[in-house]
Amino acid sequence: MRPKLVTVAGFGILAGAGAVWLAAHQPPERPTEPGPVLTVLVGASLLGCGLASWRARPENRLGPVMVLTAFAWFAGQLSEAPEAWVYTLGAAIQYWWVLGLIYLLLSFPSGRLPGRLERWLMGAGCSLFVIQLLAMLEGNKSGLRCPTCPSNLLQVVSDNPDARNLLLLERLLGGVLVTVIIVVLARRWWRASPAQRRAVAPVIVAGCITLAALAWTQALDLLGDPLSALPATVWFYTTAAVPIAVMFVFVQRRLARGMVAGLVVELGQPSLAPDLREALARTLGDPSLELAYWFPAEQCYVDGAGQMVKLPNARDGRSSTFVERDGQPIAVLLHDPVLEHNGELVRSVCAAASLALENERLQAELRARLSELQASRARLVEATDAERRRIERDLHDGTQQRLVSIAMSLGLLESKLPDQETATRPLVHEAREALALALQELRELTHGINPPLLTERGLAAALDELCRRAALPAHLQLNLRAEVRLPDQVESAAYFVASEALTNAAKHSHGSEVRVSASHQSGMLTLEVVDDGIGGAAGAGGSGLRGLADRVEALGGRLTVSSPPGRGTNLRAEIPCA
Amino acid sequence: MRVALADDAVLLREGLARLLGEAGFEVVGLAGDADDLLALVERTRPDVAIVDIRMPPTHTDEGLRAAKAIRERWPAIGILVLSQHVNARYALELLGSGTDGVGYLLKERVSDLDELSSSVNRVGEGGSVLDPAVVEELVGRRRQANNPLEHLTEREREVLALMAEGRSNRAIAERLFVTEHTVEKHVKSIFGSLRLPPSPDDHRRVLAVIAYLNSQ
Repeated sequence: MRPKLVTVAGFGILAGAGAVWLAAHQPPERPTEPGPVLTVLVGASLLGCGLASWRARPENRLGPVMVLTAFAWFAGQLSEAPEAWVYTLGAAIQYWWVLGLIYLLLSFPSGRLPGRLERWLMGAGCSLFVIQLLAMLEGNKSGLRCPTCPSNLLQVVSDNPDARNLLLLERLLGGVLVTVIIVVLARRWWRASPAQRRAVAPVIVAGCITLAALAWTQALDLLGDPLSALPATVWFYTTAAVPIAVMFVFVQRRLARGMVAGLVVELGQPSLAPDLREALARTLGDPSLELAYWFPAEQCYVDGAGQMVKLPNARDGRSSTFVERDGQPIAVLLHDPVLEHNGELVRSVCAAASLALENERLQAELRARLSELQASRARLVEATDAERRRIERDLHDGTQQRLVSIAMSLGLLESKLPDQETATRPLVHEAREALALALQELRELTHGINPPLLTERGLAAALDELCRRAALPAHLQLNLRAEVRLPDQVESAAYFVASEALTNAAKHSHGSEVRVSASHQSGMLTLEVVDDGIGGAAGAGGSGLRGLADRVEALGGRLTVSSPPGRGTNLRAEIPCA
Repeated sequence: MRVALADDAVLLREGLARLLGEAGFEVVGLAGDADDLLALVERTRPDVAIVDIRMPPTHTDEGLRAAKAIRERWPAIGILVLSQHVNARYALELLGSGTDGVGYLLKERVSDLDELSSSVNRVGEGGSVLDPAVVEELVGRRRQANNPLEHLTEREREVLALMAEGRSNRAIAERLFVTEHTVEKHVKSIFGSLRLPPSPDDHRRVLAVIAYLNSQ
């Protein structure tokens, strides 16, 4: 690689020296554009930046294109030579280098023409030089520019007006072509993402100014002021700026690669808990960067919020880069396609961040599992509540009614027994009594499963009833709007917590009274049961409360028990209800 | 006495109709839900309407609401609400608007033919009926210290409960195997202890007693 580049550089310097010699030794009466200084400046810029790009990005055509353009530029200076054949050759290829410039602008940053339009524009550029050759076949002097120029050896017929017309046509079409290219570049800029703009800005700006100066030169040529030096000078200076702009972009990328070191330092400080996406987006210069993590169990990528991520395909205008660690996929970076032209940077960022990404992946997996678990607990509670209601309804509509109906039949039987039937009557009475007891037990059972008042009248009424039936005197303080019904699961969780707490207070607290309060404020139901007993209730106060704590937590709430010895027990449940 | 009957469960509706017929009541019609019942009452103007509390469409307290509607439109018609649950709140809601001709009974009570016919008669005559289980809940509630109820004798509490069930002095006397005079003495003593104004009318005192029990 290196010897080849050195050879090219050597030839380039020789060509440059020759071109400068020609520019410096032209006869005084000949036009002086671009002159030795600009010849060196533009040529050196193209050659130097081209070689540097070639070396840095051998897979990218832009380096070789710039070097070729540099040679074409130097070759164009052959038109300054006094010998007729050299002059003729130089005049024929004088502006070929402009093709290189146009290719550079249209294909930046990938080095390939992105579409049919761009290829067509390149073709149009080439055809202009055919017109130039036609003009030279007809005209006696190259471009009819200087009376003192050497002979044009290509001339076949002498038809100066025709040659002039062809050259005017070339200028006209050239102006149109350049304008179209400026529009194409401007449109590309307009549609670009921030990351793409960042990557191409200096080149597009320098390129558009250069093309505008070229169009200006062509326009003045058309208007009959072909030798005006100013626009051409501007054009050459800005031409020198284009390779420098390309170089600038490459240097910027090198700087970005330097930022990877900063990224490593940043990610290495666990106390700061950096926003990984933010840090990577900054280092890669792509604010639209997204991260998704590999979930091996689901065999898919999931974002930080736990949503499954669909990987983009070519049509989406997004690209993806996969991150692996020890051969296992851990994450994918979804980014602007422009980063594909800077694969080395992306790869080094991925390498630097892979440990942090793996950590983040594990956390995301944990978060997803937790939210899955939470949802499954909530579903369980919901299912349990629905089941309770169903069982209560079934008992009410089925067994209870059948038993009542049997009681009615027994009552009828009893009434039909003759008064003297003393053997059967006590038996029937006994059966009725037993049935009454069974019905009472069933009633208590269904009430325990799902208190009808809770379903029918809501939490406030059910708590009121609960306190009235409590074994210890219970004072109820309600801050609930009776007409606002809370979600079923919330109401029944709160009800059963209060019920269990009242039972515990009566059984274990040795207190004289209980205070129950419930309030619903800003989406949170708070239930508190406080007794004046001996306190010292261990843990969550037995398995009954543990189950209820699970229930409350499944609804995203919290159950806390505070029971200092000698100072009563305070049980508090907070349940969110949106 | 003419009776209209509403219950969504066919088994119980038919059974109860049979029992009522057996007890000598004229069943003027059967209804399966609250709307049917209101239409039936409109058409037949019975003396008593017997209503199941839980009926379609929501299976919660349709019967209670139908009962309230009947009371508003035909105050003379007695209403007996039947429930499978001991629900003091509903009973009190029902009796809150006046105890004349209103009753609340557990369903299984009606299997006792005597109990059924006495309850329907009492409601039909403008008296009131409150299920013993509900009264037991009201009386049996644990109260704060120095509650006047704590000072009643065992016998006085029995009398209080029977009063709350809507029974007359005579019925109480029969139930407790004592003379009516003794019952009167107990009633006077109870009203004194609870600082309630004396109310000789069997019907009206129920409200006073229930209101008292509920307020404590």
